[in-house]
Amino acid sequence: MSTPTELKFSKSHEWVKEEGDVMVIGLTDFAQSELGDLVFVNLPEEGDEVEAGEAFGDVESVKAVSDVFSPVSGEVCEINEDLLDNPAAINEDAYGAWLIKVKNVTDTEELMDAAEYDKFCESEK
Amino acid sequence: MKLSYICSDSTNPYNNIALEEYLTFHTGEDECILYLWQNANTVVIGKNQNAYRECKIDKLEEAGGYLARRLSGGGAVYHDLGNLNFTFCVRKKNYNVDKQLQVIVEAVKSFGLNAEKTGRNDIVVDGKKFSGNAFYESGEFAYHHGTIMIDVNAGKLADYLTVSKAKLESKGVQSVRSRVVNLSALSDAITVETMKRALAEAFAKVYEGNVNAYQPDEEAKEEINERKEFFGSKDWLLGNQKNFVAQMETRFSWGEMQLQVETEAGIISGVTIFSDALEDTLPEQINVVLKGCPYEKEALLKRGNMEDVRISEVISWIADEI
Repeated sequence: MSTPTELKFSKSHEWVKEEGDVMVIGLTDFAQSELGDLVFVNLPEEGDEVEAGEAFGDVESVKAVSDVFSPVSGEVCEINEDLLDNPAAINEDAYGAWLIKVKNVTDTEELMDAAEYDKFCESEK
Repeated sequence: MKLSYICSDSTNPYNNIALEEYLTFHTGEDECILYLWQNANTVVIGKNQNAYRECKIDKLEEAGGYLARRLSGGGAVYHDLGNLNFTFCVRKKNYNVDKQLQVIVEAVKSFGLNAEKTGRNDIVVDGKKFSGNAFYESGEFAYHHGTIMIDVNAGKLADYLTVSKAKLESKGVQSVRSRVVNLSALSDAITVETMKRALAEAFAKVYEGNVNAYQPDEEAKEEINERKEFFGSKDWLLGNQKNFVAQMETRFSWGEMQLQVETEAGIISGVTIFSDALEDTLPEQINVVLKGCPYEKEALLKRGNMEDVRISEVISWIADEI
């Protein structure tokens, strides 16, 4: 799968999409393929605060529980409830299956563009 | 690679899980820590499991046992002092499940048993499973831990891990039952103490180095104590599966009843009743009585002494179904 160029990426394999004032966050395709088949997604609740570089939830695959980190600081304004019933959606379409939306963003980690992220993944293999 | 070894002197699961977390997030760039620990009379559930669905909490607590939730995934297991737990704390770049499992295999082999790795991350002796393994990763940190059944009380295991009678609808991860064997049944030489020594020796052999004793300092102990509180809190143990619905049905002398108990973080938030005896305000009254009550046998029974004998009957029935 080619890495979408309109997204930014963190070193812990989350993607970020800017939608006006809101940041949409998901797991990258590299992350889902490393994790394998997901069986559970643990998300925060609307109104929760997330902090850049801190875990905000986790995903469980047949291999492990893996913490998911927030690339931004702000307030969760929406979670993707569909994933609670269907975690496999992340395996099927990592860049479509967003996890949370964050508003009132006060801080953002240093992020990579698609080309930089592809290179980074090569070095992680 | 620096090889460190630590054995917990506590059998309190909350202390042991807190120490495990501490070690994981303080593992050096080029270090592997082998941590051995034992929990007394404890059901340990996976990170994303529903405690009510996996464990008879009341029965366990009556017997002075503990319910614990770990950071890793997978299903529920029963620990007593016949079980030895191991954890490999390593940075993700040094993480190697195959090599880590090899330490366990070598240790068991040193007793003359035919241990081997099979399938995905299972170790068996003569095809029988004596160890369950689970995994956790967080950024650059990771652990791989597992049980080693040496002389576990199989009766209690079955007692506490039997699921509730009520059918629970929850999104949590479900356990898979496995046939298991105690190693002491296969070799008289295997005890918890001899296995600890064998593991430390196998660790040095597989990683080709000297093993150093790991000593947490005072600051570490303070941090571990703080986290021990957290790992023993109701919020961590019961709040993870925030909402679930328990379904049950029965027949009373005065009519049939199907009922759904909705809970949020272990507290009853509402009861939906389908019954053929619904000529009156019974459902509403039951709701008034049960809303806000913890989803626990004793708490329910305390509310069960009502004027309307039907309500008392319904409540003691729900308590019995948990």
